[in-house]
Amino acid sequence: MRGYEVFAGAIKSLDLLPVFGNPGTTELTSLKAVNDYILTLHDGLSVGMADGLSQLTFSPHLVNLHTILGLGNSMAYIYSAKMNFSPVVVTAGQQDLRHMSMDPLLSGDLVGFIGNNVKYKYELKNSAEITDVLRKAKIEAMTPPIGPVFLSVPMNLMDEETSFTEPEPASLNYDVTNDEAVNAVAELINNSKNPALVFGWEIDLFGAFKEAESVAEKLGCPVYGEPLAHRAPFNSSHKMFAGNLLPGTTLINLKLLQNDLVVFVGGDVILYPYLPSPLLEGKKVVFVGLNIKPKVGETYKVNVKFFLRELLGKIAKKGNYSRPVDFQATTKIANEKERMGVTYVMSKVKIFFSDYVIVDEAISSSTILRDVLGYSQGKYFFSKSGQLGWGSPAAAGISMKKEKVLAIVGEGSFMYSLQILWTIKKYNLPLKFLILRNGGYSILKSYSLSYSPGVEKKDYLSFNLPTEKFAESFGIEAEVAGRDLEELKWLEEGRDPKMLVVDVDRTIPKLFL
Amino acid sequence: MKFLTVLPEFIPSSSVKDTINQILPEMEIVNNLEFEKNDADVLVATTFTRLGRKELEKFPNLKYLQIASTGVDNVDLSYIKEKGITICNIPIANKQSVAEHVIAFILVFLKDMVFLNAELKERKSWPILTGSRDLEGKSVGILGMGMIGVQLAKRLLPFGPSLLYYDVRRLSTDEEEMLGLNYVTFDELLANSDVISVHMPLTKDTRGLFDERTFSKMKEGAIFINTSRGEMVDENALINAVKKKGIKAGIDVYTKEPPDFDSELFKLENVICSPHIAGVTAESQQRFLTETISNVLRYAQGIDPLYRVEL
Repeated sequence: MRGYEVFAGAIKSLDLLPVFGNPGTTELTSLKAVNDYILTLHDGLSVGMADGLSQLTFSPHLVNLHTILGLGNSMAYIYSAKMNFSPVVVTAGQQDLRHMSMDPLLSGDLVGFIGNNVKYKYELKNSAEITDVLRKAKIEAMTPPIGPVFLSVPMNLMDEETSFTEPEPASLNYDVTNDEAVNAVAELINNSKNPALVFGWEIDLFGAFKEAESVAEKLGCPVYGEPLAHRAPFNSSHKMFAGNLLPGTTLINLKLLQNDLVVFVGGDVILYPYLPSPLLEGKKVVFVGLNIKPKVGETYKVNVKFFLRELLGKIAKKGNYSRPVDFQATTKIANEKERMGVTYVMSKVKIFFSDYVIVDEAISSSTILRDVLGYSQGKYFFSKSGQLGWGSPAAAGISMKKEKVLAIVGEGSFMYSLQILWTIKKYNLPLKFLILRNGGYSILKSYSLSYSPGVEKKDYLSFNLPTEKFAESFGIEAEVAGRDLEELKWLEEGRDPKMLVVDVDRTIPKLFL
Repeated sequence: MKFLTVLPEFIPSSSVKDTINQILPEMEIVNNLEFEKNDADVLVATTFTRLGRKELEKFPNLKYLQIASTGVDNVDLSYIKEKGITICNIPIANKQSVAEHVIAFILVFLKDMVFLNAELKERKSWPILTGSRDLEGKSVGILGMGMIGVQLAKRLLPFGPSLLYYDVRRLSTDEEEMLGLNYVTFDELLANSDVISVHMPLTKDTRGLFDERTFSKMKEGAIFINTSRGEMVDENALINAVKKKGIKAGIDVYTKEPPDFDSELFKLENVICSPHIAGVTAESQQRFLTETISNVLRYAQGIDPLYRVEL
């Protein structure tokens, strides 16, 4: 048996298929026995698709990149997978080791190049270790903190004669309990005057929505979503949900001004822009979760689902919080209709797409999008890296397993990964695009208004893009919405991929403060 | 066809007659009903003239009664129905004026205008701190979403408050969305509104509706505005609410008009009053006149008049 046959057999046995990639000559041999292959027309899009699919299924998927060049093209996506805690197994072809001393074309130090953007990296030394290394890579990817791993695959190993042994199962058990953590946090809560709960993405990862709701109801204190949650942190229609924290120390402090204890469960704090206030100073702060990297307070590593289940029996009521009805929303929607404000647009989107998985890369509109469309289990994905160009391929990856997926993307962001339209059409993925066209890099202009006044007027921050024509050129149906947004019904209907472009309000708000 | 207009005594008939002579010369104009009989087929009147059974029986030939106002509670509608008389009002002429009057009440209270005005003019002081507040973000509850309620909502929307309403008839989803309205129950509206404005008709169900119990359900310090009908409000209950709950009241209509000026209502700082004049502006009077004349001319030509009052 040749190395490429072992490679294909191990990938299949380890349930890492399909392979996402954009191959070059260096990878052709390794792919000789791989049949389940998804082609993207840019290397990074392979990682983006695998990221989306791996998060959705909580199961690693494999990417095969073309040497150091494909790896270079993909670095932003690999970084995103790291920030998104996405268990992607990234591989790349390496030149034939037998002439490496001659610095052949397409050779390079792949393991050095990828740096600390993966938590495990390795270049295969011989064909006999192919299966073991792939299995190790999968387990490493799934071990908290979950994230991408990298294997460099020298092309000559693929032609070597070797043997295949079926790998042991590579599943992981996350049932991590910690009585000490439960007791310690329960004591803190019971001794506090006014606690607040902040839930994060691990609630979605471990399906702990019911447990989170039960704890919140019993405590009677408000629940916040972690800043820039990349997955749903709580059921936002629940009466205990008090909204999302924003990614600034001052903004977080103001929201939690009255609380003496803040318990982060399955989430973290991410900050941007810099604000000088010290984070949650003078309060007791606790972080609980398996993947967290807290910056302040105490930390307990534990599965949040088990933690919340145990905590429920040990805490006493602390308040009577119930989110007041937001009567103001209708005022905002009515006032925004004429100028196609994002709140108005999202209120209409909610009517037709409430059962869809939302992939959010409408950066300047994300706060409103989250507030209006809300969160529910397995229905929201965002990139915590801040990358533009991630949303479209991630949504494409998710649409391989979900029939109802809506990617909401700004027209500027969309240009970063335009070629994904070819893959969507080629594999007939049932992905719907809602493009919010605001005529430029709105998030940059917002930042500028708040922190660098004047730059927002630079002409290079504005552009007019015929986004619908790009979609049509790839054979994907596209429409531009009218003021009443009746085209949303058209967008929702049917299984074919479609795009609706909405020309939204171009007013630039300040960034948070 | 004979036409008669009865104007209240404070409007001299001679001034109107000059205009009418150029439009409908056969129209007779009087200032009272102090006569035994009149053979008019068409009667035009305002709300200032009581048209009970006794008064209406003076018009044995009456076929069409045009009230040059929004309200028709000065008319014995059972008699009108019994005799098969067509009755029309002018529901469109003053709704914008009333809506603006309500907003004036709201802003006077929110911006602390009475206090500030008195500080400068009477006490000659220069206050640094005030209780001035913004309308943006406040909750305005509109009771009754007829034409005036809709006009009020339209005008409030750009200020950015939450808009709640209650009416026995709910608007369509599209209308609610366009006006930014939240439909709530009567009690929910009382409990959640910073400002409550009444625009319901006076009926047996609404007479005395605002009593001690109703005021007790309002927020402390809420602004209560009545430009509809005075009989809906128990004035003693209102006075108690102003004194005990800090309710601020903008009152344009009274149980008895003119009211008893010795009433405690006129001594309370948190009560601002106007003399049933919310719908009376130079512009609204012109609209009333134009619409009334148009409707009478329509009837005179054998065309169905607009704004029939459903009996």
